[in-house]
Amino acid sequence: MVTFKLNGKTVQGEEGQYILQVAEKYGIKIPTLCHHKALEPAGMCRLCTVELFDGRRSRFVTSCNYPIWEGMEISTDSEAVHQGRKLIVELLLARCPNVPVINELAAKYDITEPRFKKENKDCILCGLCTRMCERMGNSVISLTGRGVEMKVDTPFHLQSDICLACGACASVCPTGHITLEKIRQDISKHAVKPIPSEYEMGLKGRKPVYVPYAQAVPNTPAIDRSVCVYFKTGGCKVCTEFCGVDAIDHTMEDEIVELNVGSIILTPGFEPFDPSAFDSYGYANHPNVMTAMEFERILSASGPTMGHLVKMSDHKEPKKIAWFQCVGSRDLNRCDNSYCSSVCCMYAVKEAIIAKEHSGDDLDCAIFYMDMRTHGKDFERYYNTAQNAGVRFVRTRVHSIDPVQGNADLLSVRYATESGELVNEEFDVIVLSVGLQTPPELIELADSLGIELTQGNFCKTESFEPVATSRKGIYIAGAFQGPKDIPQSVVDASAAASAAGETLTPARNTLTKVREEIPETNVINERPRIGVFVCRCGINIAGVVNVPEVAEYAGNLPFVEYASDNLYSCSQDTQEVITQIIRQKNLNRVVVAACTPRTHEPLFQETLINAGLNKYLFEMCNIRNHDSWVHKNNPDLATKKAKDLVRMAVSKVGLMEPLEEADLEVNQTAMILGGGISGMSAARSLARQGYETHIVEQSSQLGGQALNLFHTAKGEDVQEKLRSLTDEIEKDEKIHVHLETTLADVDGFVGSFESTLSSNGNDETLKYGVAVLATGATPLEPLEYCYGKDSRIITSLELDRKFIDKDESLKDMGCAVFIQCVGSREPERPYCSRVCCTHSVENALELKHLNPEMNVYILYRDIRTYGEREYLYKEAREAGVIFVRYSVENKPDVALEDGKILVTVTDHVLGLPLEIEAELLTLASAIVPNKVDDVAQFFKVPINDDGFFVEKHAKLGPSEFATDGVFLCGLAHYPKPIDEAVGQGRAAASRAVTLLARKVIQTSGAVADTNPAICSACGVCVSICPYSAPSFIDPEARFFPGKAQINPVLCKGCGLCVASCRSGAIRLKGFDNDQIFAQIYAMAEAV
Amino acid sequence: MKIQSVKDLENISQMYSKKLYTPDGIKVNIGMASCGIAAGAEASYSKALEKFPGDNGVRICQTGCIGFCELEPLVEILETGKPRVIYKNITEDKILDAIEDYQQAHFKKKWILGQMRDPRCVLEDIPNPLAKVEPFEGIPFLEDIPFYSKQVKIALRNCGYIDPDSIEEYIVKGGYAAFIKALHEMDAAKIIKVVKESGLRGRGGGGFPAGIKWATCAKHDGDRYIICNADEGDPGAYMDRSILEGDPHSVLEGMLIAAVAIGSGQGYMYVRNEYPLAVKRLITAIRQAESCGLLGDNIAGTGFSFHIKISTGAGAFVCGESTALMASLEGNVGRPRAKYVHTVEKGFRESPSNLNNVETYANVPPILLKGAKWYAGMGTEHSKGTKVFSLVGKIKNTGLVEVPMGISLKEIVSDIGGGVPKKKQFKAVQTGGPSGGCIPGRFMNISVDYQKLAEVGSIMGSGGMIVMDQDTCMVDVARYFMDFLKEESCGQCNPCREGITQVLNILTDICAGNGKEGDIELLEELGSMIQKFSLCGLGTSAPNPVLTTILYFRDEYESHIRDKKCSAGVCKNLFHYEIDEEACTGCTLCAKRCPQEAITGEKKEPHTLEQDKCIKCGICYDACKFDAIAIR
Repeated sequence: MVTFKLNGKTVQGEEGQYILQVAEKYGIKIPTLCHHKALEPAGMCRLCTVELFDGRRSRFVTSCNYPIWEGMEISTDSEAVHQGRKLIVELLLARCPNVPVINELAAKYDITEPRFKKENKDCILCGLCTRMCERMGNSVISLTGRGVEMKVDTPFHLQSDICLACGACASVCPTGHITLEKIRQDISKHAVKPIPSEYEMGLKGRKPVYVPYAQAVPNTPAIDRSVCVYFKTGGCKVCTEFCGVDAIDHTMEDEIVELNVGSIILTPGFEPFDPSAFDSYGYANHPNVMTAMEFERILSASGPTMGHLVKMSDHKEPKKIAWFQCVGSRDLNRCDNSYCSSVCCMYAVKEAIIAKEHSGDDLDCAIFYMDMRTHGKDFERYYNTAQNAGVRFVRTRVHSIDPVQGNADLLSVRYATESGELVNEEFDVIVLSVGLQTPPELIELADSLGIELTQGNFCKTESFEPVATSRKGIYIAGAFQGPKDIPQSVVDASAAASAAGETLTPARNTLTKVREEIPETNVINERPRIGVFVCRCGINIAGVVNVPEVAEYAGNLPFVEYASDNLYSCSQDTQEVITQIIRQKNLNRVVVAACTPRTHEPLFQETLINAGLNKYLFEMCNIRNHDSWVHKNNPDLATKKAKDLVRMAVSKVGLMEPLEEADLEVNQTAMILGGGISGMSAARSLARQGYETHIVEQSSQLGGQALNLFHTAKGEDVQEKLRSLTDEIEKDEKIHVHLETTLADVDGFVGSFESTLSSNGNDETLKYGVAVLATGATPLEPLEYCYGKDSRIITSLELDRKFIDKDESLKDMGCAVFIQCVGSREPERPYCSRVCCTHSVENALELKHLNPEMNVYILYRDIRTYGEREYLYKEAREAGVIFVRYSVENKPDVALEDGKILVTVTDHVLGLPLEIEAELLTLASAIVPNKVDDVAQFFKVPINDDGFFVEKHAKLGPSEFATDGVFLCGLAHYPKPIDEAVGQGRAAASRAVTLLARKVIQTSGAVADTNPAICSACGVCVSICPYSAPSFIDPEARFFPGKAQINPVLCKGCGLCVASCRSGAIRLKGFDNDQIFAQIYAMAEAV
Repeated sequence: MKIQSVKDLENISQMYSKKLYTPDGIKVNIGMASCGIAAGAEASYSKALEKFPGDNGVRICQTGCIGFCELEPLVEILETGKPRVIYKNITEDKILDAIEDYQQAHFKKKWILGQMRDPRCVLEDIPNPLAKVEPFEGIPFLEDIPFYSKQVKIALRNCGYIDPDSIEEYIVKGGYAAFIKALHEMDAAKIIKVVKESGLRGRGGGGFPAGIKWATCAKHDGDRYIICNADEGDPGAYMDRSILEGDPHSVLEGMLIAAVAIGSGQGYMYVRNEYPLAVKRLITAIRQAESCGLLGDNIAGTGFSFHIKISTGAGAFVCGESTALMASLEGNVGRPRAKYVHTVEKGFRESPSNLNNVETYANVPPILLKGAKWYAGMGTEHSKGTKVFSLVGKIKNTGLVEVPMGISLKEIVSDIGGGVPKKKQFKAVQTGGPSGGCIPGRFMNISVDYQKLAEVGSIMGSGGMIVMDQDTCMVDVARYFMDFLKEESCGQCNPCREGITQVLNILTDICAGNGKEGDIELLEELGSMIQKFSLCGLGTSAPNPVLTTILYFRDEYESHIRDKKCSAGVCKNLFHYEIDEEACTGCTLCAKRCPQEAITGEKKEPHTLEQDKCIKCGICYDACKFDAIAIR
């Protein structure tokens, strides 16, 4: 260590360090134009000159390259230094009067106009580019010429062959003298092109060192070897200079790690279809023809245009956008993907609506489609919203896209309308709704794993084992199983976890390590002794905020015993240091001023625990996201703000008190309400994982609606499979089936529910830790199409029954008609029942098998045979099933005349009425959820307008409720086919196991608490809480009867009740009034 | 033959001293340094050689710079038993006559510079070969001519006395004895001690004590290098060139001694490529030294090895700066770097490197042979020994002089240099090359040493000395040097590149009559910043000409700016010529010479000058013998 004086202050640096480095460490800014951390200092700009007193005399040295020595005295901003620097800046301003960085510098020195003869150059000859090029291992450019002739150039001013066009020179150029354009024209013989960002779909460049995307896990940068200069020249390694913790190792190689595992889950996903090959769409050539994935990026606030909806050709706002559906899906002519990609209709609708939100209602959005497939939960509603919002839906398939003559930005589209009219329309942007497909490498992987694929190259699964591959122990989730959307993928994922968990049950908890318990110090009644740790976050914070100054400031705040700054507070070594300091300094409150508590608070709380402190004696303030990032152009104010934030945190933390986290024992028993396919699947999974499970079924038989189903879409015999499932359930000792039983009452909460089961007048009490609601649905009994008036007019399930019963009469019929959307997609039931299209197509095919001569008609609105169910549709058409489309305004007419069933429908091609005499009319009636109002009440879970349960999160929490300990699956969630019901049953089990696997669960300490003495028992808190945490104290209770109380177990600490309590009777621990006000008062000091 | 000992040197000495001092027949030594050649010595030599090709009584030989460059070609003619006579201005047409003149003993006074009393150099302890010789009558003794009388030749000890292409003649003059002594009798510490005690300071300009430099370099581990800076770049200075052309072995010997003292095996000679003759003679000298076993492996059987390579510079002034020189030597662009780590620690190829210039090395052998005390006995407290100056400019006796430190400026300029010609007024002397300062007449009595020169704002530099008379405009002088420096600044650092450019812009404006109030202060401000903030010596000393001229001749600047007058008649926009009617005799000389026919007048009548036609070429001014052309 070398000790010397810096501006009168005694400082220390390491032997061999330069003055500038030490000054930087102490937060002293020295101006420089030619210094770069990764480059050897050159001392060229001379701006960093400082005054050195060596004991005898003063002289001027450049701080960037003057090595420190013991006892020297440095003055970084003496009058002489300041005057000299000012003159240098003035000289540079004369040289480059139009360079922003010089203008800014001049403004700082109060120079408005140079006193010298002006030139108009843009290079300040700082040499950063040439030194950087040298560092890249190339030295393509150098400073050539002498004196005033000096310039940055290649040898002999020839375009270089060895230049990699890496752009490093341009990236360090402070004045804009070297640009990519200059590299292209003057420096390199090679093409200058950005590295396309995979995440931004190539719409933007990225660096060779990059985090794939903002939410990537792990969120650490990686080096792309294929473009990293080090792997090309052996030079560069600049990144290592910037990494404060030496984390970069260029010698690392890929390693093969062998793991011994009990099961494998495949979640490799899909690739979006590449439409480049569709030459008639011109995707490869026209910037305004883009894929939906690219369009997603443009809509995204973090995308290449920062969420600004513009054309890629000229960055102007588009007026008209078209979406082309089924690009790379349902197509055998121009690609091999004849399946439906399931998700594109919905995403196109969504993109159209968001585009309108971005650009305003004037934006014309048209979606060109074949069938609108919005079969997901609440999707049909969304489709209706889009129509109402003015999104045009045009049923047609467009052949080609042509640029408009004379205006290359415009795209011309020629198409036929439904009425057969030819239309020419021009659009600014055309979005290709590309489909999902399995990439070739996955097909290879499947081959090497020995798992079977389907015709569409998706993983082959069975309906009753939807997440099991053909190879035992290998499971599957997500789009590799078939094209699907997010909720379905999440369901699959949980189901796969559950399936794997079933196999691995014996191994559960065998690798768990028990953490050493550190006794908690009692700090109650102690005077606060606060420690403040200010984080530099490398340069993330310290690059803007003067961190040492903030730390010094914090050290002088009341009750602060210790304050320091760290390079990376979250690094493991710093954590240990903080632990030691808490112990040594006997701290009882801690403030960390760093980044976001969202990601890092638990980490620091852990540190407190390790130091024997209650983890709630902690406060974090975000001087990165809230300060250095947003105020990076104003370092002085940012430093001031950091001080304000730290002062606020300090004043709050002094009032923090240790909070307790309640332990809650979990009753490791599950109750499943509903004995259908999904309920049984859930039960089987829970039992296989070792948990006692009760199935409560109101009917006298297990099986639910599946009892009426003939075949699955994949052709499996439902009854056979159902029987084996039921058998297994009945034989399983851990599963207790309660038939003809209903739920009379539910009490308790997560971990300890208690219910009254009522069976034929007998009540029984059941105690359990978690509940799965699988209450199912029933087919709608149609009120139209003469249903009930003729035995030949039946519902789909009734037809299934005929198949199950092998009804001979089916064979002899000459004509059968199916009518779709009976009761679905109607104003009173504005949802798609999802399964009916596939079901009818399948049954139509079955009829064709029975009698190929039979005329089979399907009258439909949109055929929604999503995913690989599309093959059935194709097969049906090939088999001669006649599909006639009708519109909801012009529904088919069914008349019974002379014992004949006459179905009249307007043929959509001819536009003329078509009368069919049907010998069998099957109505694909809607699926209607069972009435579960009482159940919803018992568990305090919500039901939507259609009567289906509302899950915790439409996308990410499809199989659980917001209420802890309650899960859902099956038709009670939304109509779904058997495979999806089985999957969701498993998924619910999987989610339940996350609770059951723990014997004890901890509740948060930051929960609300009532003061019953001032509670007015108004009930606002009880009604407002989304988690049912508040309740009234028993009116018969001895103390505070009828007043509100809060169950800390259920409370999530959201503060809704606190804010709405009109008596001020509720407080939120950890965010108490005095704590918040202390913060506010501390803030007021800043104003 | 391989020289192993003092004995071997003595043998050679004996063999060759006759040739040098007592030749058979007449020996004609023609001064064949660049100065002589420029004046036509080569033609004289060829002509003489044509006439006397063999050894038929007259032998034609070459030698280096005899010193009085103004009078080149100088030819020395000698015959055993007679004094040596130096003929001046012996061009091709005169050479044969001169030889005849000597043979016939006519001794035309007009042709003769003088005769010589003692041709020995400081290192010779042989009896004076001319001691018993009868002097010629009527010929002045060289030693009595003021130009020579005040000189003490140490570095220039052999220049003009020996054939530079002959190692033997160098040895006769005591050459290599110091090296052999150092090799056999002294150890490194002892050599360094002697050099330290002698007070020898670097003659290249910095004036850093050579002994301390050697000692520091020897202290650092690594492949140490001995480098000789022969990149003499100051305009008007040619001391090093003359030494290299006249006595290359003296430099090699100095480097060899340094190599022994510092412990180096490799030396480099960085010579300007504009000195082709010096390069040629150096190459010859190195080959000779190698063949005599004085350079190479295992020298004199002691195990000591030393090699010297020559590297030629491409003519960048800044390459005289040590770090730039070393960068150039390494094959990189010759640009300086910050010297916070000294070159004696990390220099050439990141190794400890000792850099001295030609003159410094040339001083070393005499110091070693004659002792530190002898050397330190000359000069002033902090400046010991002698210094070579090249005396140029508005002075009678242009030439190369070596004087003891401490001699007054006046002695150099007036006595040795003979003062300003044409009865003009002496104005200033500029020392130290382009980054030196201009010393006005009132300081002429100061003694020439490092400190005194610094006190008056100038530097010793490498020894350039430019004398200026009343016709010199000091603003223009400053502008001239700034123009030179602008071209020669390496361009790396802002204060130097941008600062000098702007100083030059301001000076150019002033000289063009566009100067404005505040310019002088701005020049001072800039100058002061450039001195403090520049990266290398070039920048830090660059403002000297401006600052010293402002310091001493501020009125001249002011009259340029305020009155728009250049009293020296240099800045064309700021003066005009007039004919002084009273002084004009009507000789018509001016009218005849005027290229613009701007002067008219009758014979013997005062002439008139038409200002509109006058282009201020100054021909009339120079031509007029009656001072009738006046600058107004």
